[in-house]
Amino acid sequence: MSSVSVQPFVSALNESENRLREIAQAGKKIIGYFCTYTPVELIHAAGFLPVRVMGGVGEVDDAYSLAPNFICPPLLLSLEKALKGEYDYLSGIVQGYTCDVACGMVNIWEENIGGEIYHTIPLPYNDNPASREFFRSCILELNEKLESIGGKITEDSLTNSLNLYAGIRKIVLGLYGKLSESLLPLSAVDLFHVIRAGFVMPPEEYLEMLKIVQKEIENAEIPEKSGIPIMISGSLVEDPRAYRILEEVGGRVVSDDLCTGFRHFYPPDGEGDDAIGRLINRYMKRFPCPSRARAKERAPLLIELVKHSGAKGVLFLFEKFCTPHLADYPILREELIKENIPAIVVETEETGIMEGQLRTRLQGFIEMLEN
Amino acid sequence: MEKTRKSKKRLKAAKELNRVVVDYYLECNKAKEEGKPVGWMPPMNGAIEIFYAMDLQPVFPENWSPVCAAFGLTPQNFEITDGLGYSRDLCGYLRNITGYVYGGMNDEGVPLGGLPEPDILLSPGGGCIPVMKIFHILERRFPEAKVFYADIPQVAMEKIKRHHIDYAVSEMHRLIGFLTQVTGRELDYDRLREVVELSDQACALWDEIMSYRRFIPAPFSAAEIGIMFVMVTRQGTQEAVDFLTAVRDEVKEKAETGTGVIEEEKIRLFWDNIPLWYNMGLFNYFEKMGGVVVAETYSAAWSLRLDSQNPIEALAMKSLISYPLVSCVSVEKRKEMVLKACRDYSIDGAILHRNKSCVPITLGQMDIKKALEVELGVPSVIIDADHMDDQNFSVAQFETRVDAFMEMLLEKKGLDW
Repeated sequence: MSSVSVQPFVSALNESENRLREIAQAGKKIIGYFCTYTPVELIHAAGFLPVRVMGGVGEVDDAYSLAPNFICPPLLLSLEKALKGEYDYLSGIVQGYTCDVACGMVNIWEENIGGEIYHTIPLPYNDNPASREFFRSCILELNEKLESIGGKITEDSLTNSLNLYAGIRKIVLGLYGKLSESLLPLSAVDLFHVIRAGFVMPPEEYLEMLKIVQKEIENAEIPEKSGIPIMISGSLVEDPRAYRILEEVGGRVVSDDLCTGFRHFYPPDGEGDDAIGRLINRYMKRFPCPSRARAKERAPLLIELVKHSGAKGVLFLFEKFCTPHLADYPILREELIKENIPAIVVETEETGIMEGQLRTRLQGFIEMLEN
Repeated sequence: MEKTRKSKKRLKAAKELNRVVVDYYLECNKAKEEGKPVGWMPPMNGAIEIFYAMDLQPVFPENWSPVCAAFGLTPQNFEITDGLGYSRDLCGYLRNITGYVYGGMNDEGVPLGGLPEPDILLSPGGGCIPVMKIFHILERRFPEAKVFYADIPQVAMEKIKRHHIDYAVSEMHRLIGFLTQVTGRELDYDRLREVVELSDQACALWDEIMSYRRFIPAPFSAAEIGIMFVMVTRQGTQEAVDFLTAVRDEVKEKAETGTGVIEEEKIRLFWDNIPLWYNMGLFNYFEKMGGVVVAETYSAAWSLRLDSQNPIEALAMKSLISYPLVSCVSVEKRKEMVLKACRDYSIDGAILHRNKSCVPITLGQMDIKKALEVELGVPSVIIDADHMDDQNFSVAQFETRVDAFMEMLLEKKGLDW
């Protein structure tokens, strides 16, 4: 039996800023995106590197000169980093329309950070032949833009990119499968690092690292899992302390509905008559974000995830001021209550979670689930 | 100044507006009693003209919120919404309408008879997230209502291309098909052309009315901006055209005779973002220092024209541009519009309402502030408030900031308070 090391992922994360700057200096264009509804495959197929812009944990200062304090911390912190030059390797932002803040931020970045490409894709909300045809036109419009800055997209290059990202998603979803069956020899913090590294690395290298860790996991001894199984639902998790505290007070993450988690990867691929059709199919069938779906559509999916993973309760971990999640919460809670699934809601700020408060609340929640 | 206050209005049309408002809500309730299908929809799109053309009754829950604010019903609605588990950080429109529909929405004493329950909901994909979520809540509250899942591309006005228009047009046709199916009523395209023609006349009158505010002194201020009620609820009707014609005549006469809002107009102001519906009197506050709010961003939402010979495309375009025009979807266009307004209306200073209840309008405001300073030398002041929740508004902070700002503007022009 061998051990599993997530250190390569942690190192990749720690070194990502320097690494990405080197890549950009070597002549490869790096394009940022905020939300996972951005078709990264298309950016990659054009010959560019798509990288997810994240805020991390920190203090907001300069960003308040451009944005109000009542928007979500990740986007405020991302703007803060950009103003400090930490995203100077980006050639711009391409964004699939999700929430008001993310899409307003594209314009604020364009105005204040600069770069040669800024583009928002007005993704359709409905799935029908007309909306798919419209989606195709939007993809073709983005193709033109990417080509105008030196990209070149062909049927083959897009097919290769689709295969590459599908490969990544399949491995990560495999990890999620093991997680829900208590067969994953990784802590929630380990999985956090494994996933997060993929947002800021060239996908080819990330896939190779995933294959190695997948093999290590297959050969590893599965430690006895203890703790009350919990599902986490929310947008981004930027602060791994939330996972650590949950585990310290006797909880164990067995599934999630996060855009830095399961929601980002599922489904792994789409089907279609051509590469664009395959791309469209996947994005229309995404496990839904509340900015693009109704609580009534999300509730059964969440309940299924809870049941499938054996979670005893749901931790709603929201970024403060996140309208789509906050607005869906009362309906989701009502639906969970009908299924006798207890839930708790916690909001996070720029400086991350408030440790003391979170610990006390989670302790109470876990104790309640134990009884 | 009080925390909640009605504005002092000086236009004769203000009285007429009261009648128009009462008539509209009476019509909504009468429609329900008579069995005419009632549809609830978001504002600023082309569905209203389709409804009037098909003799269906449009109702605007978003517009009901200012009514609740004016009648002091908001706190009780908020309390109900809080009790349902909705965060106080959510938009005040969402918190108000949710509390209203889950409370005693047609109880005795509800002003204007309240809103009739919907037979149809036009639930938008597009517009801001709070509006989308309001309709998701309404779908749950009124499970018997037939729901149309609308889809409008979220695209900046300056970036609209043919495929966006084509999709919006196909959505208008889908809406007409849906309405025909659920109501049994066919759309008469000649009637639609008439309605769109009336809508266009209303827009033309709106622009003309606003253009008279370029006169110095301005014939009316933002205190009268309630006249936009007809643009929200009555577009496509003769009532709107008649009302706006009367407003135009009155405003024109005032402008041509040099009759201003106050005796001596010293400072001309611009207002960015939604007004504080519970304190429209705030627009009169500037008057003691010779200040008049002569232009605002929000009124630009109806500054568009509709081609009645191509009514479906005209309505599709209206649906595409109205929301981006006033929100962060189109920061560049909005900035251009504000700068143009400040030039056209000879603005001395801008008041930027940093509105906790409206992120889409607030985002991008700082870029506008910078452009005003750099490109026009127009100073601005930020007011932290909320268009629905007076808990997020401090009178003392408002007065301190505005007094200092006005003093600075007066000094800049070499004038005394």
